Amino acid sequence: MSKVKKTIVYWLLLLPLVVVILFPFGVMFVTAVRPRAELFVYPPRWTFSEFRWDNFVDMWVKTNFGGALINSLYVSVASTALALVLSIPAAYALSRYRFGGKGLYRNFLLVTQMMSPIVLVLGLFRLMVQFGLVNNLNSLVLTYAAFNMAFTIWMLQSYFNTIPRELEEAAWMDGANHFVSMTRIFLPLAVPAMVVTGLFTFINSWNEFVLALTMIRNQDQYTLPVQIFSQVAGRYQVEWHHVMAGTVLATVPVAIVFSWLQRFLIKGMALGAVK
Amino acid sequence: MILPSLLLAMFIIGYPIIDLAWTSLQQVSRFGQLRGFNGFDNFAEVFGDPLFYDSLWRTLIWTVAVVGGALLISLPVAMMLNDEFFGRGVARVIIMLPWAISLTMTAVVWRWGLNGRAGLLNASLMDLGIIAEPIEWLATAPLAFTAEILIGILVSVPFTTTIFLGGLSSLPQDAYEAAMVDGAGWWGRFRYITLPLMKPFINIAIVLNVIYVFNSLPIIWVMTEGGPANGTDILVTYLYKLAFRFGQLGKASAISLIMFGVLFAFTILYVILVMRAEKEEGVKEEVSASVEG
Amino acid sequence: MATAALAIGALGAIAPVQAQTRVDFTVAEYSSKTGPYYEEVASAFEKENPGIDINIQVVPWDTLLQRLTTDIAGGTAPDISIIGTRWLLDFAAQGVAEPVDGYLTPEFKSTFIDTFMAPSVIDGKIMGLPVAASARAMMVNMDLFEKAGATPPTNWDEFYAAAKKLAALPDTFAFGLQGKEIETDAYYYYSLWTHGGDILKADGTSGLDTPEALEAAKLYKTMIDEGLTQPSPTNYNREEVFNLFKQGKVGMIFTFPMLIPQIKAEAPDLKYKILPFPEGKAKATYGVTDTLMMFADSDVKEAAWKFIEFAYKDEWRTKFDHGEGFLPVTKGVAAEDYYTTDPDISGFAAGLPYAKFAPTIEYWEEIADTTVRTMQQIYLGQVTPEDGLKAAAAEINAIRAK
Repeated sequence: MSKVKKTIVYWLLLLPLVVVILFPFGVMFVTAVRPRAELFVYPPRWTFSEFRWDNFVDMWVKTNFGGALINSLYVSVASTALALVLSIPAAYALSRYRFGGKGLYRNFLLVTQMMSPIVLVLGLFRLMVQFGLVNNLNSLVLTYAAFNMAFTIWMLQSYFNTIPRELEEAAWMDGANHFVSMTRIFLPLAVPAMVVTGLFTFINSWNEFVLALTMIRNQDQYTLPVQIFSQVAGRYQVEWHHVMAGTVLATVPVAIVFSWLQRFLIKGMALGAVK
Repeated sequence: MILPSLLLAMFIIGYPIIDLAWTSLQQVSRFGQLRGFNGFDNFAEVFGDPLFYDSLWRTLIWTVAVVGGALLISLPVAMMLNDEFFGRGVARVIIMLPWAISLTMTAVVWRWGLNGRAGLLNASLMDLGIIAEPIEWLATAPLAFTAEILIGILVSVPFTTTIFLGGLSSLPQDAYEAAMVDGAGWWGRFRYITLPLMKPFINIAIVLNVIYVFNSLPIIWVMTEGGPANGTDILVTYLYKLAFRFGQLGKASAISLIMFGVLFAFTILYVILVMRAEKEEGVKEEVSASVEG
Repeated sequence: MATAALAIGALGAIAPVQAQTRVDFTVAEYSSKTGPYYEEVASAFEKENPGIDINIQVVPWDTLLQRLTTDIAGGTAPDISIIGTRWLLDFAAQGVAEPVDGYLTPEFKSTFIDTFMAPSVIDGKIMGLPVAASARAMMVNMDLFEKAGATPPTNWDEFYAAAKKLAALPDTFAFGLQGKEIETDAYYYYSLWTHGGDILKADGTSGLDTPEALEAAKLYKTMIDEGLTQPSPTNYNREEVFNLFKQGKVGMIFTFPMLIPQIKAEAPDLKYKILPFPEGKAKATYGVTDTLMMFADSDVKEAAWKFIEFAYKDEWRTKFDHGEGFLPVTKGVAAEDYYTTDPDISGFAAGLPYAKFAPTIEYWEEIADTTVRTMQQIYLGQVTPEDGLKAAAAEINAIRAK
């Protein structure tokens, strides 16, 4: 098949999926910019009379969107950092050393993957109460890091396996100790893998809902998913145009960063897989 | 070196599991105060509840349909995206997009999009002349559940495709070239080279997706809250209702443990099956190690 | 490393300020005005009482019960909270609620309207104060009635006849019937009560297996089958039914006073009228109250009570009731002309003498959920009204027997 022919066939095959994926984005956008009075028109239609950009401003002011954005950023960045700081040594050990209980440790990690936060939410809540962390964003940082660790350790370990041992051994010959060889030689090589796993953790934390709903009490501590949900749930009235404006603002920046970084994600998966 | 991560996992995940097991054996007040042991009463109550079985059955349908659907779509999609064609970069970005929105928000948007009289899905279908009257997508359980499964598939595709893409790009090219020389057709190459080599990636995708999908609350909760008439309840939504609406924390804990048990059994069974199959085929140990880890 | 992280986390936690008494107050979010309103009350109070700090947490209704459940389970319950009165018995039965008889001076007590005080009394003790009240009524679209040549109904026969006429109009639904999510059961109770039935019989068993209950359910089912409601009621929650009304597509709905400010803002040209529910064997309306409850575990009950007394001053209550569109729970506010002369609000207030309240019984949420499920099954045609109600009654009796 020529490249041109392939292009046509592939795009035709992908078209249904692409349409379904883009549909919610279209819904978000045309709802977010339409005047309030045109939310409920019958028969429903995509078109609307004017772009009402003020919706975004109104929404921002009315719903403390900025605060939620900062909270979400803080939680996602901090939990990503924590997950990486804890996962890197563990993955390094799994990749480089033999030690008793290695298999057990791996299985334990797999089991932690199996527990949904929902299933554990009550127990987690009691735990956070004991630490006085309820209504504190740090409770989310700790839990997100913990729930993501299994995956990050697994990813990092398979990647670390691809970094030749000889490099570090050469450094030891030169008199460097393990710590120095790890930080000077090994870690710089592992940066791509860290980006990938970090991105993965970041997305998961950014999107998490149930735990945030349970642990966070004050509105000024809400993360974005909870903030948006609270505008839909149990209200006497849902301001759909504001909800959609919020969703657009919460989604677009992540989608952009994500489209830029996704190539690394795939590369990371591929590299991690090469044994 | 593994100690810090082990400690955190123990604290955040280990402790609540024990707490949960402890709670499930006790009589628990509406507000979670423990009122003494009652043996396996909570479990007996769960097993005597017809809604539990309905939800369990629906959970199986949900998990199998979503994971199966996601795999069936993702594999060809990944194969296309792994090939060279014009606009591949754009296509990759689009396919990955659902990953960038939180599930909750996706569900909120779809709920609005599927709205009977104001929803844009009906708008599109009516504009295209496919339907004359708006369809109330979420009014009956079969239709609503189907919609939820399709959305579930949609949001699972990016993750699954990423795993497959990673796998495909690591496949050895020389195997294909040899096959080309042998005159193997497209299907032959797929059947005898791609599929066997992709097996470990498919396995990972199955295990991780089953875990995620089995435990996934937001789509169903936001769109229908398990209704109408409990017709779209799966175990997590039922659990959530029991715990936080009805305050039956003992029974909810029991269901949590049962869910954990089901997943645990599935994973162990699956890993064993995979390992056995691979030993028979003589594939190297390393592959199974990656599934195990 | 993990412990280090925990320590850092703990430092970030809110350290209790020793010098001040802090009162945690969980507020249910009725609308976007609720939070700012209570912040205003709190800061006015704090100005007068510099030693007391009122910490307000605004929680959306849908998550309020979950929030309080986890709070109590975790030992971090607030000092006072707004709750749905229907939950009060559970709170009282578990020893979570503090009886307020000891704090309530006769003078303060006399400011409340007795009807609304009644649901808070459990085993002779006052377990909380009414904080918000509403009654339900029928709202009709007068333009549509004129066009159809129908007269607004006073009983169910007229209701049915009017529906027939309204449904004949193009692109119009006669009756907006709610069949999804919160308060789906309430829509049925309106019919149940006015047909002479009740949620519980005198002996405490479910009233759903009575002929009145059957008649009430059959009426709705017939209307669905004959196309007198919007199509697929099970896809319409409260808000969506009201939206249809605002768009002028629906002739009759059952609603609460909080809809009025919304209509005034969004559909100012809509000609509507508030009427009592159609009568069958009985007159009824659904009275709903929310309760301000004090927690038994609170260490700062004195300070909390001081704040409560402050917040019940007429100047604050009137602002609250007007802002949210509630009926007054205090005599001072009820005496305002507005509540007797305003045609909208007085339409709702008129039903108060014969208002029915949801029973204060244990497991109420579960019982209500059983009713919701049954109604949805009936609306969808999955069961006949006869079988569905019989099964629901049996299920509710089993829950009651626990």
